[in-house]
Amino acid sequence: MNRTRLGWGVAVALPLAFLGVFFAWPVAALVGRGFVADGGGVDLGGLRDVLGSPRTWRLVGITLAQAAAGSVGSVLLGLPVAYLLYRTRFPGRAVLRGLVTVPFVLPTVVVGVAFRSLFRADGPLGWAGLEETFVGVVVALVFFNVSVVVRTVGGLWERLDPRAEQAARALGATPQRAFRTVTLPALGPAIASAAAVVFLFCATAFGVVLVLGGLGYGTIETEIYRRTTQFLDLRTAAVLSILQLVVVTGALFAAARARGRGERALHLEQEDVAAHRWSARRASDVGAAAATVVVVGVLIVLPLAGLVGRSFRGPDGAWTLANYRALGTTGGRNALSVTVWEALGTSLRTALIATAIAVVVGGLVALVVSRRPRARAARRAVGLLDAVVMLPLGVSAVTVGFGFLITLDRPLGLNIDLRTSGLLVPAAQAVVAVPLVVRTVLPVLRAIDPRLRQAAAVLGAPPGRVLRDIDLPIALRSLGLAIGFAFSVSLGEFGATAFLARPDSATLPVVIFRLIGRPGAENYGMALAASVILAAITAACVMLAERLRQDRGAGAVGGEF
Amino acid sequence: MTAAGLVVRSAVVRYDDDAPRGRRRAEPTTAVAGVDLEVADGEILALLGPSGCGKSSLLRAVAGLEPLAGGSVTFDGQDLAGVPVHRRGFGLLFQDGQLFAHRSVARNVSYGLEVARVPRAEQAARVRELLAAVGLAGYGERDVSTLSGGERQRVALARALAPRPRLLLLDEPFSALDRALRERLAVDVRDVLRATGTTAIFVTHDHDEANTVADRIAVMSAGRLLQVAPPQELWRAPASREVAEFLGYQAFVPDGDGWLAVAPAGLRVLDGAPGAATRGEWAARVVGSTFRRGRVEVTVDTDLGGGPQRLVALTGTVELPAVGARVVVGLDPGGTAVVPR
Repeated sequence: MNRTRLGWGVAVALPLAFLGVFFAWPVAALVGRGFVADGGGVDLGGLRDVLGSPRTWRLVGITLAQAAAGSVGSVLLGLPVAYLLYRTRFPGRAVLRGLVTVPFVLPTVVVGVAFRSLFRADGPLGWAGLEETFVGVVVALVFFNVSVVVRTVGGLWERLDPRAEQAARALGATPQRAFRTVTLPALGPAIASAAAVVFLFCATAFGVVLVLGGLGYGTIETEIYRRTTQFLDLRTAAVLSILQLVVVTGALFAAARARGRGERALHLEQEDVAAHRWSARRASDVGAAAATVVVVGVLIVLPLAGLVGRSFRGPDGAWTLANYRALGTTGGRNALSVTVWEALGTSLRTALIATAIAVVVGGLVALVVSRRPRARAARRAVGLLDAVVMLPLGVSAVTVGFGFLITLDRPLGLNIDLRTSGLLVPAAQAVVAVPLVVRTVLPVLRAIDPRLRQAAAVLGAPPGRVLRDIDLPIALRSLGLAIGFAFSVSLGEFGATAFLARPDSATLPVVIFRLIGRPGAENYGMALAASVILAAITAACVMLAERLRQDRGAGAVGGEF
Repeated sequence: MTAAGLVVRSAVVRYDDDAPRGRRRAEPTTAVAGVDLEVADGEILALLGPSGCGKSSLLRAVAGLEPLAGGSVTFDGQDLAGVPVHRRGFGLLFQDGQLFAHRSVARNVSYGLEVARVPRAEQAARVRELLAAVGLAGYGERDVSTLSGGERQRVALARALAPRPRLLLLDEPFSALDRALRERLAVDVRDVLRATGTTAIFVTHDHDEANTVADRIAVMSAGRLLQVAPPQELWRAPASREVAEFLGYQAFVPDGDGWLAVAPAGLRVLDGAPGAATRGEWAARVVGSTFRRGRVEVTVDTDLGGGPQRLVALTGTVELPAVGARVVVGLDPGGTAVVPR
């Protein structure tokens, strides 16, 4: 029993220690700086100045409006796609599901570059005048987040027992009424949960806003970045970080509430039995297909195809490979300190380490949170842990990055400078990836009937053995996806990395951002080509992970893992 | 006294529920409120009671899956407090089997043997032997997802028996199956348990199942044991009106210091003219009748002395009496029992 306790103790302590050192401490330190006067002592002047400034409230307004518009757009466009991809069967569905997932894992910088080339005056959508506008930013955010809605809602919808809706139809309800009164309420928690997460992502979006919004546009997040890097105004940045934290905590709280209600006893089927073959005679199927064509065609394929297309064109519009050949150089007028290929190598190495950390830390958290301890206090603590590990999703990556710089030069008084050890960037990326690993693995572990573990225990398996024989084989099914997500998120991480990576060890997203910031058509072309490379790698790795999961799912029973 | 087998003394099980919304604390629910129980070596005991009476909680406490809030559980004289689930050497069969979906049938059955580090050859032999015992010889390499509900429960039984548990706990093992299958499996399980000499506690809410499987039946209600007795004795002499009601006795006629309890088959429609009812006979009016299991069951309104009641009586004929007809009913001594007040 004591060894068991020790094991759980380590499983709780390790993630807490990691998140404490690499998240809570840097963030707290940075925020603290905003309230400490030069001579020591608390100084609340910053709070008064910032909260009294109309500029702050304009930024808050834009941030909230951007997040609200992004969530509403994602939900409205995501629902029909979720229906088509998870409630009907048709050839090519797996490919389409993969395609819809791709935007979510694309690096923000790449998405920014893709939409920028679309909105430019000479781009395919140049006529719409979306360049550097609110609507333009929101469209890009919806591109990102529509897949969150599709996956979250679709995952539940796929397993919803169709007989409840059939019962409503038999009682005389029209299809629309049955959907509105039976299906929609059942999906409600999933929709609310997805909307809250999307709200969060939209409120803290950084790369997309920075690349697409231009100088005249700003949110809390970009303002924190500008205040710290351009004006070294830590006071203002700290207050803004707190404001952002308030917004984020509210959204996370709403998401947790919605998820909790989602665990209500819905009658769920085994995956996929609820789906029917797509039929041209069902109005709902045809409508969903039309909506999906628009979402996938205009929102997803057009920007990506545009990006790829332009990357093969020279400044004069002629087809050329020059942009790709230039990836071996440091750019026009030596814009960079390393070649793009070198940056790619750094990116891959960093992301590998970050993924390893994130999978270990996130896996342990998921394991702990999946349990429902007997004591009420312990149950509360588990619930709290569940909420706390989600915080990195919402705290400004910029805050984390800058916090690293000011705290980790001599961590805990030790005479080591983590800033030069090369571990800092992976640690920062892992902090961002941990919540995604938790969210991927946790539902699978939660779905294990506790009596399955009890059956093994009664047969003589000690707790460690139960973990190995029951939890692990089942969790492995989702681990491939978790690794894929963690890797692509680490690969594309921009906010924190932008702060921490030194010029000679810049990652690919940092290099891309630097290239589009430099004058010269050659540099812009290189940025496009580098974006295509980065997008291709992340997309390939998520598609691969998704594929692994499906194979496991289909042959899950009987196979040895 | 060191009794062989299982001894439960004053067992109490409480659940620490989450507080309902808007309230700070929830009162803990007491599922088992002080139970004394003994199961001798090789005996099969049925724990019978309505759903929610605490019988599953008691079983889980014996298995070590719920902590005791009071009392003790000992086996062969050893106190099991502090002995974790996996060291108790018990077997447990869940309502829905809980087979390991990622293992084949054989690897499910061998799980307890693998954990106990039994040599491989011995494992294989034991698996074959048990699959044969439960009537699934040759199913070893099958995928558990290809099995029917009844087959799954047979595999679960084989899995639970494989490590030769000192005590097998069965938690409503057939309640998810259809009636015919349930009856057949109950007989099979009894035979397997007898053949292997396994001590067992069998939780059920079905009297027939309890009668079929058990040497003794413990009737449980609201967290307490009402009576523990062999099936015939329980049926012949229920310890209280509550036990008799749970067993299905439908009417209670005041009789001296106690009740004369009337079983479903204890009331007969007699031949003879209505109005000529003598002592031990009552006038009744037919409300309806059905043909069930080859016999006519007549629903009648009558007053046996405890007030007007709607009861079921059997007839000796195969004709259905007309609704509204006046008849005479009498008791069948084989279908009654005396219950102390």
